Amino acid sequence: MSNNPFPLPKEKLLEAYTKMKTIREFEERLHVEFAKGDIPGFVHLYAGEEASGTGIMMHLEDKDRIASTHRGHGHCIAKGVDVNGMMAEIYGKVTGSCRGKGGSMHIADLSKGMMGANGILGAGAPLICGAALASKYRGDGGVGITFFGDGASNQGTVLESMNLAAVWNLPVIFVVENNGYAESTSIDYAVAVDSYIDRAAGFGIPGVTVDGTDFFAVHEAAGEIIKRAREGGGPAFLECKMVRFFGHFEGDAQTYRAKGENEENRANKDCIKIFRKRVGGAGVISDAEFEKIDKAVMHTIEESVQRAKKDPLPSAKELLTDVYVSY
Amino acid sequence: MAPLVGIIANPVSASDIRRVVANASTLQVTDRANIVLRVLSALASCGITNVLMMPEKSGIRRHINRAYERAANLKEDIFPQLNHIRMDITSTVEDTLLATRKMREAGCAAIVVLGGDGTHRAVVSQCGDIPISGISTGTNNAFPEHREPTITGLATGLAVSGKVPADIAFQSNKRIDIQIGDAIRDIAIVDVAIVTERFVGAKALWKPENFRELYVTFSDPEVIGMSAIAGLLEPVTRDDPDGLVVKIVPHHEAKTILKVPFAPGIIGPIGIGSWQRMKAGVPAKLDLPAGTIALDGERELAFDQNDDVSITLVNNAFRTINVSAVMQYASRNGLMRT
Repeated sequence: MSNNPFPLPKEKLLEAYTKMKTIREFEERLHVEFAKGDIPGFVHLYAGEEASGTGIMMHLEDKDRIASTHRGHGHCIAKGVDVNGMMAEIYGKVTGSCRGKGGSMHIADLSKGMMGANGILGAGAPLICGAALASKYRGDGGVGITFFGDGASNQGTVLESMNLAAVWNLPVIFVVENNGYAESTSIDYAVAVDSYIDRAAGFGIPGVTVDGTDFFAVHEAAGEIIKRAREGGGPAFLECKMVRFFGHFEGDAQTYRAKGENEENRANKDCIKIFRKRVGGAGVISDAEFEKIDKAVMHTIEESVQRAKKDPLPSAKELLTDVYVSY
Repeated sequence: MAPLVGIIANPVSASDIRRVVANASTLQVTDRANIVLRVLSALASCGITNVLMMPEKSGIRRHINRAYERAANLKEDIFPQLNHIRMDITSTVEDTLLATRKMREAGCAAIVVLGGDGTHRAVVSQCGDIPISGISTGTNNAFPEHREPTITGLATGLAVSGKVPADIAFQSNKRIDIQIGDAIRDIAIVDVAIVTERFVGAKALWKPENFRELYVTFSDPEVIGMSAIAGLLEPVTRDDPDGLVVKIVPHHEAKTILKVPFAPGIIGPIGIGSWQRMKAGVPAKLDLPAGTIALDGERELAFDQNDDVSITLVNNAFRTINVSAVMQYASRNGLMRT
């Protein structure tokens, strides 16, 4: 009998850990670097939420499209966007994924199916309906995933898109990454329907809630609903309950949190610690293997920061290039 | 003074993967709240003046508070005094466990439970001798009987008020203990399924090719879920002292292929190797060396060759209110006549 009790072979488990760890270190490093004042604009960090993006994206191919959020770094990395290009983009450098003109909230790489982080809350949902319609029309088996937070879930764009996806039976997965706060407003106050599954049911879309700190729960549920969507089973809704380790944005004083909440989250709701404990405890990946990945990831992130700092800014001549697309 | 009744309404049940794979129903939060309101009215009509409820953050309490406000404005005296337990809310099963213990401490005469088999199991693990009344709001519900909650509320009120003899009002039930090594790790109130998946993951059971062993406290061909497998082979009532064990095998090894509604809307073939009665107090050992133990429809405990797992049926494990018997008695004895 295999000593691997998990639904993924060892190389895929290593890949999942590497992705989650890369996201974590990317965000932890940005937390430090942003405070130095070298990064233009705002950053919204995904640390703590890695199991959601990674568990879902492990089922996707480049042809599958995702529409991300303002908190999009984790989605980009999980979808395979180049880390150096991302870091350079966040620093506003010409070597960035969007030649330094998008910044943190507009990183995109269509070659990887990453349609973009998005500074407009709830704006990804209608975009992904378009991408999913294209896949359906072409019959290429592609699916679209739109991510949004518990705050953006209240936007009309999300609700209209759910209606559209249901009416057209589109291969769209609506993923609410529920970290409990819309910026600083608690979900208890701001979401009238209280249950996202209820809301999806109102559009005739089946929904599933999973523990978003458990990679395997996300991976299993996402696998089933993505497979069904790919085969014509229509849209579905996935709620990942999770925590974010940092504030809404860098600089957020987080006065809305309970005393000790961040410490509790770091201690007991860290999806990477949970993954490592479970997979390491089963003897599938050794401590030495985890540490080797950790070291490689640290090197990757360090290199990306150093490169981004050295790289040039876009020139003034490029101001109006890559801005509009003509059809 | 009228007896105190507890209500535990799980706001988070009915959101697992079976919504997607099996068209299972979604009972919305407002519907859950309306069920609670109907139970509250029924309890008040039986003379219950105080009810203690588990708090939650998913909207049930808010909906109920609005209904109480409207009733007060309209001068409708239809509800008992309702208090919510003071406790930290985690929005996990821990809330159900803690609330049940608090209801025991407060001296509740009965606990009305809204949830699926999993929620009922959680309450049973903590309620001791307090009888429970089950209302089905989950997915694969074999334990709570399907019935209009108003009737469940009426039967609960009549039973705890002493208007019905205890030997009629209350029914004893079986449970299954799961022991790993020296310790009882968990219980089930309907079924224990042993499946080949070796991780808990999304918890729900929906892949019959992975089913291997099944232990049930009762089996009923009218219910859905894992216990339906047993129910379609040999019905065993809730009153019967025995349970049933079913060995499930790949189709090519099966003596019988059974069509089973193992999830709502999913009727599929299950290969049956053998089945036999399960005697109370006799520990059974597993055939499968490694896998997951699913309790009342959800994968809960992973095990491997290093774990010594045994499964034991226990009689007279907990009490429920026998709604049917209470209402029949109420009719025959004119308890509802004014």
